[in-house]
Formats: sequence, C-alpha cells, structure tokens
Amino acid sequence: MMKIGLSVIVLMISWVSFSQSADEIVSKYLETTGGVENWKKVKSQKVAASVNAQGMKIPVEFWSFADGRTYSAFTLQGKTMVQQVFDGEKGYEMNFMTQKMEEIDAESVENLKRNKGDFPSPFIDYKEKGYTVEKLEDATVEGVDCFKIKFTAGKKLSEGKEVDDVTYYYFDKENFVPIVVETTIKMGPMAGKTSQTVMSDYDEVDGLYFPFSIQEKLKEGEGMGQTITFDKIELNVEADKSMFDFSEFEKK
Amino acid sequence: MKKLLGILGICSLTIASAQDFLSNLSTQELFGSIQARHIGPALMSGRVSDIEGHPTDRNIIYIGTAGGGVWKSEDGGVLFSSIFDKHCQSIGTVKVDPNDPDRVVWVGTGETWTRNSTSVGDGIYKSTDGGANWKKMGLEKSERISNIVINPDNSDEIYVSVLGALWGDSEERGVYKSTDGGQTWEKIFYVNATTGCSDLIVDPNDFKTMYASFWEFRRTAWSFSSGGTNSALYKTTDGGKTWNKIHNGFPEGKLGRIGVGLAPSNSKIIYAVVESEKDEDKGLYRSDDGGANWKHLNNDFALTVRPFYFSRIVVDPKDPEVITKAGLFGAISKDGGKTFKQMGSMHADIHDIWFDIEDPTRTYVATDGGLYRSLNKFVTLERIENLPISQFYHVSMDNQEPYKIYGGLQDNGSWVGPSASPGGIEARNWESVGAGDGFRVFPHPTNPNIVYSEMQGAENVWRYDLKTQQLKVIKPYPEDIDQKLRFNWNAALSTSIHYPDRLYLGSQYLHVSDDMGETWRVISPDLTTNDPAKQNQENSGGLSKDNSGAENHCTIFTIAESPIDRQLLWVGTDDGNIQVSKDAGKTWTDVTPNFSGKLAPKNTWVYHIEADKFNKGTAWAVLDGHTNNDDKPYLIKTTDFGKTWELKVDSTVVGFTRSFEQDNKNPDILFLGTEFGLYVSVNGGDSWGKFENNMPSVAIHYMEMHPQKHDLVMGTHGRGVIIIDDLTPIRNLKEIEAKGNAFSEALTFLPTPTYHMNEKNNFGNTSTETQFVGANPSDNAKIIYFLKKRHTFGKMTMEIKDDQGNLITRMGPGKKKGLNIVEWNYSMNAPKIAKGKTFDFGGFVAPRVKAGKYTVVIKKGKKEYTSHVEVAYPKQSVFTASDRQLQYETVTAMYNMIEDLAYLVYQIDYHLELAKPFESHKKYKKSVLPMVEKLNELKETLVITSGDNYVGAAEPRLREKMSDLFGTIAGYPGRPGKNQLKNLRGLETAHSDAYESYRKILLKEVTRFIDFTSKEFPDKVFDPKKTKEEFLEDK
Repeated sequence: MMKIGLSVIVLMISWVSFSQSADEIVSKYLETTGGVENWKKVKSQKVAASVNAQGMKIPVEFWSFADGRTYSAFTLQGKTMVQQVFDGEKGYEMNFMTQKMEEIDAESVENLKRNKGDFPSPFIDYKEKGYTVEKLEDATVEGVDCFKIKFTAGKKLSEGKEVDDVTYYYFDKENFVPIVVETTIKMGPMAGKTSQTVMSDYDEVDGLYFPFSIQEKLKEGEGMGQTITFDKIELNVEADKSMFDFSEFEKK
Repeated sequence: MKKLLGILGICSLTIASAQDFLSNLSTQELFGSIQARHIGPALMSGRVSDIEGHPTDRNIIYIGTAGGGVWKSEDGGVLFSSIFDKHCQSIGTVKVDPNDPDRVVWVGTGETWTRNSTSVGDGIYKSTDGGANWKKMGLEKSERISNIVINPDNSDEIYVSVLGALWGDSEERGVYKSTDGGQTWEKIFYVNATTGCSDLIVDPNDFKTMYASFWEFRRTAWSFSSGGTNSALYKTTDGGKTWNKIHNGFPEGKLGRIGVGLAPSNSKIIYAVVESEKDEDKGLYRSDDGGANWKHLNNDFALTVRPFYFSRIVVDPKDPEVITKAGLFGAISKDGGKTFKQMGSMHADIHDIWFDIEDPTRTYVATDGGLYRSLNKFVTLERIENLPISQFYHVSMDNQEPYKIYGGLQDNGSWVGPSASPGGIEARNWESVGAGDGFRVFPHPTNPNIVYSEMQGAENVWRYDLKTQQLKVIKPYPEDIDQKLRFNWNAALSTSIHYPDRLYLGSQYLHVSDDMGETWRVISPDLTTNDPAKQNQENSGGLSKDNSGAENHCTIFTIAESPIDRQLLWVGTDDGNIQVSKDAGKTWTDVTPNFSGKLAPKNTWVYHIEADKFNKGTAWAVLDGHTNNDDKPYLIKTTDFGKTWELKVDSTVVGFTRSFEQDNKNPDILFLGTEFGLYVSVNGGDSWGKFENNMPSVAIHYMEMHPQKHDLVMGTHGRGVIIIDDLTPIRNLKEIEAKGNAFSEALTFLPTPTYHMNEKNNFGNTSTETQFVGANPSDNAKIIYFLKKRHTFGKMTMEIKDDQGNLITRMGPGKKKGLNIVEWNYSMNAPKIAKGKTFDFGGFVAPRVKAGKYTVVIKKGKKEYTSHVEVAYPKQSVFTASDRQLQYETVTAMYNMIEDLAYLVYQIDYHLELAKPFESHKKYKKSVLPMVEKLNELKETLVITSGDNYVGAAEPRLREKMSDLFGTIAGYPGRPGKNQLKNLRGLETAHSDAYESYRKILLKEVTRFIDFTSKEFPDKVFDPKKTKEEFLEDK
C-alpha cells in the first residue's frame, strides 16, 4: 500500500511537467501498477473470467506463462472446452463444427512464438527486446485526456509478409494506466479497420494492478462490442501437465 | 486501493458552475456514446483525384479523393478502408516513400482538379505507420498540393509541388524542398502569386532531374480563367537549384495547364499535354531527348478536353509507347501517342490512372464515379463497390417509417434511399430520381410518391411520381422571351412548410408554384446585386472556353420560410444579399447593409439561411467566403428581422461554413457544418466544439434534423450521408443543467422514453462482402447516464431486474467520462441447458421480455444507482393481447421445462459421478452397475452423447426437440401455431415420463447404491447434490 501511495505522489508531481517522454510514461505505468521488480516475479497467470453473450454467461479461463505457453478454455451449455492451447512451439485450437482440436496455422504459431517474451507485460525490458515506444499527439479517449504511445513489438507475419507489430496505447494522464489499446486489423474482411480494447475496473492482485473488465470492439462505428469480466486472477500458479499434452489431438 | 482512489479523487478537477457545466465539457464528453452513422451510399461513389501504389507490394493501393479523404487497400483494391478521417478530406496527392514503403506515406491535401465545387486543402501530412496516424508537416496555406517527390536514397529529401490557391493570389506556390524529412521547407522555385506548380515528376534514373509545369489560373464565383504568359514547363538537372524552360517545339503565345508524363522504362521519353491559344497546336507533345525538343503528335478531343479538370498522362511502366490520358472518357495510345482509343465503359470524367507494378494489364482508373479496376488494360472495367465517397450537395427527408433521405450529388444524379433497411442499407435500396449533376431533391410533404429534383442550373426541374413512374419537367420559363433567368449551378429549390403543393425556386427572382410546378409566378424583384461584371459566363474558361453553367452568378442560393409565420420569407444570394419579406413576397427589405462589410466582407456568398424555430424575428445565416479567397467561418444571427446582426462563431470553428441546423426543441443547441466537419454549440452559439465521434472532417453541404426522430442528417460532399441518431440525450442534459446542481452525483441517469420493440424479422441483405452496406440505427432500448469521471478503478456492473426484483440479465456498463448509452436488446437470460456432447442451438435463444417497466441497477464501487427502463410492444402490431399472452405463457412453460431437464441431467450426471470410484469394487456389478446402466439409458433419451455440431450430428434427443420448439416459439411474438402446441404436448409427456423414470431409478437402483455405500463405506462423505436453485444460480 505504501508503495502505491508513493508512486501516486510521484505521478502527481509529474502533472506539473507537461512533456513526458514515451519511456517515462511506460516507466510510470509499470511503477504505478506495482513496480517492474514485482512484475518480473510473475511467472504465470490464471484468469477466470466470464463473457455475457446473447443472454448467456459464458465462463472462460486464460492461462499464460513466462515461457510463452498459453491455454484458454470456455464453458458453454455446461460443457467445458479448450479453445486454444500453445506450448511454446506448437498450438491447437477447437474446431467448433467437429469439436476436435486442430493444429493452428503456421503463421499464427510463428506470431505466438514471437510474443513469447512478452509475459506478463510486453513493456518490461522492452528496449532489451528491441521493441520501441514513440509518443504521438495526445488524444482524448473515453472522455479522458491521454498520452498516446505507439508501441512496436518487433515484426510479425501478416499473410506471409513481415510487418511491424504495432499497438497503440492510451495512458490516462491522471494515473498512467492504459485505458484503451488499439491495433489495426491486418487480415480478413475487417482488414484496415481498428480494433479497440477498452480497459477498466482495475484492481489489485498481490500488489499488482490489473484491469478486470475488458471490452473489445471496433473503433469505427456503432456497437457495444464484447465485454469480458475477470472474476479472479491468480499469479504464479502451476499448470496441470495434461493441459499441454497434445497426444490426444495428434491422433487423426 | 482505497488510498489510491482517495488521492486521485482529491486531485480530480472541480466542476465549473452549474449553468455553464455543459459548455465547459469537451464534445467527446458531451456526446459520449453517441456516434455518427454512415449510410453511404457507395453505388454511385464519388470523385477520386489520385491513385498511388506501393513500389514493391502490388496489393497495396492508396487513393486520394476529392472530398472523401484517403483510402487504403491491402488486397489489390478488393476492399478499401478510410485512413484519413481526422484530417482535411480534399486530397491532391498521395505518395509512398520508396525507402520505407510499408511505413512512410505522405499526403498533400487540396484537390488539383479545379472545378467550381472543389474543396481546399490545409497542408501536407506524413504517416510513419502505413496510414494509421498522421502528423501535419506544414505548408498550411498551400491549398492544393499537386505532387510529392522523395529521394529514393534519402527519405529526408523531399520536393513538393504546390499548385496553390484557386480563388485568389497566394505566395505559397511553386516547388518546395525539405532536407529534414518535412520539418522545414524551403521554397526553391516560385513564379508569381497567380501561377502555381501543377505537376512535378522526377527521372527515376536520376533523382536530380525533374520536370515541373507551372499554370497560371484563377477562379471566381462567376468566372474561370486558365492560361497566361507565366504558364510553362521547366526542367532541372541539379536537384532544383536551377530551372530552365523547355519549350523547344511548344506552341507560341499564352499557355494553359500542362500535364507531364515520363516513360519509366525509358526516362528520355517525355510526354506533355499542352493547353494553348490555338486549337491546332493544343494537345499531346512528345520528346525523346528528355525535353530538349518536342514534337506535336495529336490534338484529338481526348487530349484537349477541359485541361483544368483532366491533365494527367500516365505511361505504361514497361512499355514507353503505351500512354494513357485522363479525360472525359479516358484514352489509351499504343503507338507512342500517334493515335488514341477510348477506354472501356465506365463513369465519365477520368482523373488518374494506375498500372500494376508487376502486370501492367491490371490497371486502376479514378473517375467522378469512384475507382475502377481492369484486368485487361482498360477494355472492361469493374467498379469498386465499397467506396462511400459520394458528394452530396443537399439532403431532405420524409416522414415515412423508416424515413427516406433525398439528395443530389456531384456528377451523379439525384437519389432517394431509406434511413434503415433489413440487414443494412444496401446499394439496391437506393432509387434514382434525377439525372445530370444532382442538387436539391425534396419529397412532396404529404404525398410520399412525389419527388422533386433538378439538374445543374435548373436546366431541368423534375416532378417524379415514384408509383406511376411519370416524369414531368416543371421548370419555370421567363415571362418575356428575351429575358434571361439566372439560376445557380446548385439552384435554390424548396418545398414549403405550410403549403403541401407549394414549390419555391430561386433565379434572380423568387418563383412560386402552388400546384406542384404546373404554374409559376414571380414574387420578387431581382433580389441580387445584378452586377453585369459578374454575368459574362459565355467568355469564361480562359484558353479553353468553359461555359458549363458552373459559374452562373448573381442568383438566389437559399430560401427560408419561417416555421412560425407563413408570410415571413428569407432569401440569400450568392453575391451576398439577404432580403426579407414579411408579406409573403409582396414587399422585400434588403437587410444586406446591416451585416455586409461589417461582420463579413461585402458580397460574401449567403450559403444558407435558417429561420429560427422559436422566435419569429430571429434568423441565422451562414456565409461562405471561400470563392473570395476568404476561409473564415461566418454564422450570423438577427433577432429583429435583419435590422441588426451578430457573429456567432468562436475561434474553435475551423473552415468556411456551409450549413446550419437548430435543434427542434432546444433553441440553444446548434449545429454548424464547415468545410472541415461538424461543430456543435449548446449555448446558442457562444462557444463551439468539434464533433468527432466517427465523424470525419468532411465538408457538410447541408444538414437537417428529422422532425420526429430527432436525428441530424448530413449531406456531406465526400462521405455520403452521415446521420447522428436521436439527439434527445443532449436536450435532456440541457434540462438537467437548467435545474442547477444536478450533476453533483458521480452518476446521473438521463430520462428515457418508452422503447418500442422492433418485432420485424427478415432474412437480411443480399450484398456481397465487397459491397458497402450502410449501418442501421439501433432499435434497442437504451440506458443513458452521465458519468462525472471515467470509471477506471474498482468494480462496476449493470443488471436489469423485473418488478419483482428478479434478475433479467446482466450487461457491461459504459464507463466513459461523460455521456454513456448502454443498449439492451429486450432479451432476458437464455435458459440453462442440459449438458450434452454437442451444442443445442435452440438453447442459445434468449427470449424477449414482456412489455413493462424494468429496473436498472448499476453498482459502482460501494454505491448503487437505480433507474428504470420502460419497454412496450410496437405501436403498430399484427398481434393481439391474447396472442401475446399465449406466446408468453408457452415460452415461460418451455423455459422452465428446459431448465427442469437441465437439472434432471445434472442429477443423473451427479449420480454417475458418484459411482465412478467404485468401478473396481467387487460388488460393483451387483450394487452399482444397475444404477449406472439405468441412468445412462435414461440420459441417452434426454441429451446427445455422441457426434458433432455439423454433419456428424447425432439424432436429436429430448433436449434438442424441446429447445428447437422453444426457439421457434420464442422467436415469433404472436400466437404459437396449433401444430407447435400439439408438439409441445408430446414434449411435456416425454418430459414427465423422464422424471417418472428417474423417480423409479431413484427408488430402486439409486437406493440400492446408497445402501451399498453406507454399508461398505459408512464414513464416506459425498459432495452434496445442488438444489435446483443452486444449480440455476449462475447462468
């Protein structure tokens, strides 16, 4: 608590200085949300969440690990199913027609591999990873004055082409937490449109701050999008071995 | 956590005094969730001014448009996205940096095809992320940028050709150079204040060699002039230090616009199209020695037509003898310019051409009617169908449900289309109601079958009966055969608020018809300045005569009837007059001297007059000075019938002004349309803010608020029709503000009307993935509230409850600072479905609630806020109350039955789970297995336990049969079919049979199992079975 109080004072002082570099904003974000050293202690994360869709509460579960493994599952009509699982090298996802796991396409797996070092936050040691931050013109989102940061996390593949892996972060000037994240959709019929992730309900877990409500929507036009509410976040949890056992899926 | 919030709370800004609370909000806070809705259409699209490809990726194509911004395709032109919404929408040129083509893109704003209706630019922009974000890099006063050249070895070295101001002198013209990536610019080549650089091309083999054409040109509201002694073609071979005229072989005398093209495959071959004094030496010139000598090849129509509008030559990248020329139809030569052939069929007026970098048979053409793509080098062309860049001059609406929108477009006729349509507003929903250039279109106020439309200069004014398809020309003729009626290009046509069959039309006089255009009478003298110096259009055009009617001047441009007093008429003219009549046109008072030369320069075009909706003596006039080279915004207001006027814009408003609208209910809520977007005032024009919620910075030529729906409908000149649906929340905010102190709470609910469910059902639209489909308005119920601060920390939830306090559904609340609108689709939670192997699709149906009053509960931190939302059935419905009652009872019974079944299956699974640990016990077969077998046997009849969700599906079981019928009945708001009810009886029987079977298993096999466990494992404690309430708790 003491730590957070201090960081808030730091951030209050910072209001006086108008020009903030991108690097300072990122540092303040990490500091305000718990401190880099504490973030670095996180080796895994399990999120129990729920999505409200078409009058149904759909429980979902996301696991992610420092070594790049990820696992997600959901429960629909009482049935729990793995949605996607990636062990750092290989990945599978559910085909909803057959309810069988199928191997993720090579390009997506390659992109997952490239994101391996981004847990728990891609901002930690971003320079060492060769990532860059750039401060763009300040912007107002959600009615709030924000710093807008262009974050380039190296390159990713898009339809066979190497492209910059760019995400735009809007940090609330008052408290340095990101409240909106944007990316340009690269593939499919929505290519070129901007997808927006709106974050709120920040709360503390073991001294670190996480958004507990995440709304995904298109930036342009109407529609409320889809909100995921986090019910519980657990840090440094152990995975069950069976979660990453692909032998069942490999049986054709 | 508390500490953090506490400190932040202390630091939050204190709220300004109650009276000006709303005026102090940003427009983003004020409008919050209210977003603009784009309905296009794209079927006629609009003018594309420039095409630019990527130097190594053939699939990346950018287009610059005349008024609709910049669009990017990453798939060779199948789909385009708008990437320049926040900035000026009039584009001169787009250029990709060859050194970093995936990232760096430049846009020079300001169209260079200088027709009367062209917009203006506001500088040069750069993106370093492929178009996602843009930064203005100066040249703010350039108005029109014709080209950008980037050193292929050094991104910091850039040359920009500035054509410059169209409507007046300007020193910001010529060639500019930057050596620091656009941070600073040096004007390296300038001719004079009337002559700009219309084209700049570079030798791909030698970056220091460039060709620049200069054009002496000027437009006024009443004339156009192309050509002079300063027009010339220059060449530099030292990177712009020295420039030499290269006219050896060019015509003598004055020159006009010169277009230049270079053969990329042989950069010594240069083509130029030259506008000159004599018809015989106009047209195409060719040089085979880098411009040292020129030979005249061709003066065909295609090479000489309207140089101000068409002057681009593009040479095939692989074949120097293949040249294309923009023009009325576009032309191609395959013999080095000796002969030309017209391109294939497409919309007229071609402005630019692009050859695919790898395969020059794949080509793109920019026209007044959008972008075309050809796979056989211009022989046949297909139009890109997702570019809603249509250029409306005007819009009007009717009172149908859904209401229809009428409007005319630049070079694209007149149209009527719906504001909503099943599955979205498609191309096929629009109907053509006028030819030529389209302008003002009106429905008859009481007869929805009658539409009035017009073409340029009121050459035709039509009355069209949509039902009988009878089309009559109804334009007025002069009373004296020698008299000339002067109609503006965009002639002032209007229907009346007070007389359904009345029409007004403005020439220099005000014409009135009271029989739908059959007879006309003149009810005014000449209301213009009638300045003879401004009526010499026959000689307009300069070196190429151009008397299209576009320069007609000294005409009436806007007509306004007072909604309060039918005798009160206002007229505004293009030459700056405002005249008012209080006796229906018997006498007129010229009130021009009361504002002209005081609040705005003399003769500033009166673009729009709006008679106030609340006070008889009050009127608002929007003046547009851009044709006098004046880009300032003017909104002036009188409250005494024009005796005195005051200016009602502040420094926030950017761009010259064209349109205005006052809210239907609150006189202080105002909308002002400028060349660069929409501005809003909530204090009667004392201060303004820019509305940017999905609203591009586009020129708004006309706007009107729908009288019943309270939607603001905007006719934009480049992005089609844009609607802001239902502005009542803004009025409500004003009412709350007027009460004083009302925003003291962190959250304030706004009143909402009763929402009527839309019970229409349909099979959606017919458009394909590559066609633009306009968005529909939402017909959901809305929960509207104002948050004083953005909710970022701690929990915030929203629930809907019925009058008994039962949970109906949960929703994600909006958390913005400012206005939040959360939509509810009238559905309750779906029933909890029995667990099976596959999904039960009928079980995904969430039934609609009954009409009634529902409670909204928002929990924010520890505080709880409640409000109500009232929902009703449609006002006009084919269903009776007893139909609805039966449907509701049936759905409720089935809902409960489905959940009963879910609970039954849960219980079966519970017992089966209990049995599992005993599988190897010696008494398993005797004491446990019978239960397992019986339960599985029963379960098999209840839910699917095999197969998949597609063609491997198993035969439906009771669960699937139940929910299939449930979905069918819940999906239709009326009386369930007799066969459906019969089917339900069967399901009910099966359902009670299932429970009976389960009861029997409980009594026999389960009891035996319990006996077995209590005897063998007396200390064993089993997980308790959930009660039904517990089971249903979390759904």
